[in-house]
Amino acid sequence: MSAAEMTRPQADPTGRRNVWRRRLRVAARHAILIGWALIILFPIYWMIATSFKESHEWVAWPPHWLPHEPTIKNYSQIFTFDTMQKGVAREATEQPFNVWGPLGDSLLICTVSALAALLLGTFLAYSISRFNVGGGRFRHAILMIRMVPPIVIAIPLLMYYAIMIPLAAETVIGTRIILFDTRVGVSLIYIATTLPFVIWMMLTFIEEVPYTLEHAARMMGAGRMYTLRRVVLPLVASGMVVTFLFVFILNWAEFLLALTLTHPKVVTLPVLLNKFQSASEGRLFGPQAAIGTIITIPVVVLGILIQKHLIKGFSFGTIRK
Amino acid sequence: MSEAQISSPSSRPASVLPAAAPRRGLGAWLAQERVFRLIPFVIVEVIFVLVIIIPFLLTVYISFLKWRANRPFEQAYLSGFENYERVLTEPGFWAALGRTFYFAGCAVTLELVIGFVLAMLVSHIVRGRGLYITVILVPMMIVPVVVGYNFTMLYIDSGPLNQLLAPFVEPFGINPRIRWLSDPVAAQWGVILADVWQWTSLTFLIFLSGFSALPKQLVNAARVMGASAWQIFWRVELPLLKPAIVIAVVIRSMEALKIFDPVVLLTAGGPGTSTQSIAFYLWEQVWVFNKFSFGAAASIVLLAIFAALIFGGIYLLVRQSAAVAPERAT
Repeated sequence: MSAAEMTRPQADPTGRRNVWRRRLRVAARHAILIGWALIILFPIYWMIATSFKESHEWVAWPPHWLPHEPTIKNYSQIFTFDTMQKGVAREATEQPFNVWGPLGDSLLICTVSALAALLLGTFLAYSISRFNVGGGRFRHAILMIRMVPPIVIAIPLLMYYAIMIPLAAETVIGTRIILFDTRVGVSLIYIATTLPFVIWMMLTFIEEVPYTLEHAARMMGAGRMYTLRRVVLPLVASGMVVTFLFVFILNWAEFLLALTLTHPKVVTLPVLLNKFQSASEGRLFGPQAAIGTIITIPVVVLGILIQKHLIKGFSFGTIRK
Repeated sequence: MSEAQISSPSSRPASVLPAAAPRRGLGAWLAQERVFRLIPFVIVEVIFVLVIIIPFLLTVYISFLKWRANRPFEQAYLSGFENYERVLTEPGFWAALGRTFYFAGCAVTLELVIGFVLAMLVSHIVRGRGLYITVILVPMMIVPVVVGYNFTMLYIDSGPLNQLLAPFVEPFGINPRIRWLSDPVAAQWGVILADVWQWTSLTFLIFLSGFSALPKQLVNAARVMGASAWQIFWRVELPLLKPAIVIAVVIRSMEALKIFDPVVLLTAGGPGTSTQSIAFYLWEQVWVFNKFSFGAAASIVLLAIFAALIFGGIYLLVRQSAAVAPERAT
């Protein structure tokens, strides 16, 4: 057996039948994959198409695969600055829905909590990696926090935010501190829930940095923080960017805790989308589709950017590529 | 030498190089190794204690109270294990729990099979590989709430799904405008399929990295020795992929048992209670019916049940990654 045949064992030059069978097999593979790709893309396409449809087309039968009268009305409805709702048509389907507030809340909460979790988590991952802080089992203890279903945390948190902190603050400092329905409250829980991800992702990045580098810097007399800032951080910077984006996406998509801990002041985008789902607001498929589209597009773009690293976050580094 | 100098109190000049100017007071104390290593640990532990442990203890306390949100908290009184008795004898709780396991079982099985097949196909393909991977991974990045919304659009009576099915059902005299989410069984499968649509991408990703880590020499050796493609798959590739399979099963099962978002968006637990997952059930008990102490007790019971599963899952994960590590090193 020659080396060439070892590397390309399929390349069997004998007989045309084999060639045809191989082509058929390749075609079948492509057919299945294209079929699945269509299944994946269709719901997304349908949402984008709906976001450009007039209200009477949303639930037309037979459904319109392309908007017959393309319109950007759904987008202008959600992006309106017209908070006084003047010029509102009689129909409920033409109300303006202000998406700016929720968009701002979502961006602020997700960015701040992802940054805070990133800083704390990187620092702790460094400490775990270099000094084995917390013992050998600490990483797995952290893993458990992620596996706990959020509903189990949600009920305690609601009572904690709504009852205990105001009461405790009133007795200790004399003023009521309210975390329920505040951006700080939501950010705090997002930091706690995403820290395990940050720690695990950063551990895999930090452990790729050779300890000898730091040791050399320390031998030459660099201080702890100096070594961390000038030697370790530059080497894991790209990993930190990936981790930040990953955690940002997680926070951006989070629904249960936001739904639980906010009402009615702070509204994140998933909560806003859910509002339309209830009967009280009516099923406004067009504006919903527009909101869905603007939630989805930026995250998918970010996700494609960090595609290669997604596995680290989702599998907690148990698999490395 | 230098280690000792740096970790010693700062009164001594630490080193000859200018970068390590001697520090005094707090800075030096923080830079000692025994302190420095604990700084991040303490901060993170404090956050965990504040945000997770204290609320948890509070919940334990509330679960022993007799209290609904329509009365002030101060008036609640202790009622012993009454809430736990009610949870454990509540058929709705157990039904929702069973349903959750049913959803997770169906969804995870489908995801594993489809994800495995897709990963196998992609790993054998050369042309267009990157594009396929990108497209297949897209659902993972979509916000679950949006997925729920997208699927309501597909399932509604005048949706594209019914249009595609119309030529097949109309000859039997069935009105093609079927309300899928109004039928208990169809609604359950509606939720399961939405989950499969979204999370097959994750199992695909795990299996794909498993396939790309397969040692080519072993496969080629088997082929040279005359093994058929079928034998190579069952006897060589599948055993080597076992770690990836275990990891996919554990990670997906733990996530699937939390299912909440698609249920809220698609069916809100209905029709009746046929699609209530345990997360949705608890949420409804507390936020709709205001049964706080019942919800607290149910959370604790649920946590106890999940703790066993989590321990099992982590044990499997750790064992597998320990088994994988030496292979990777070679």
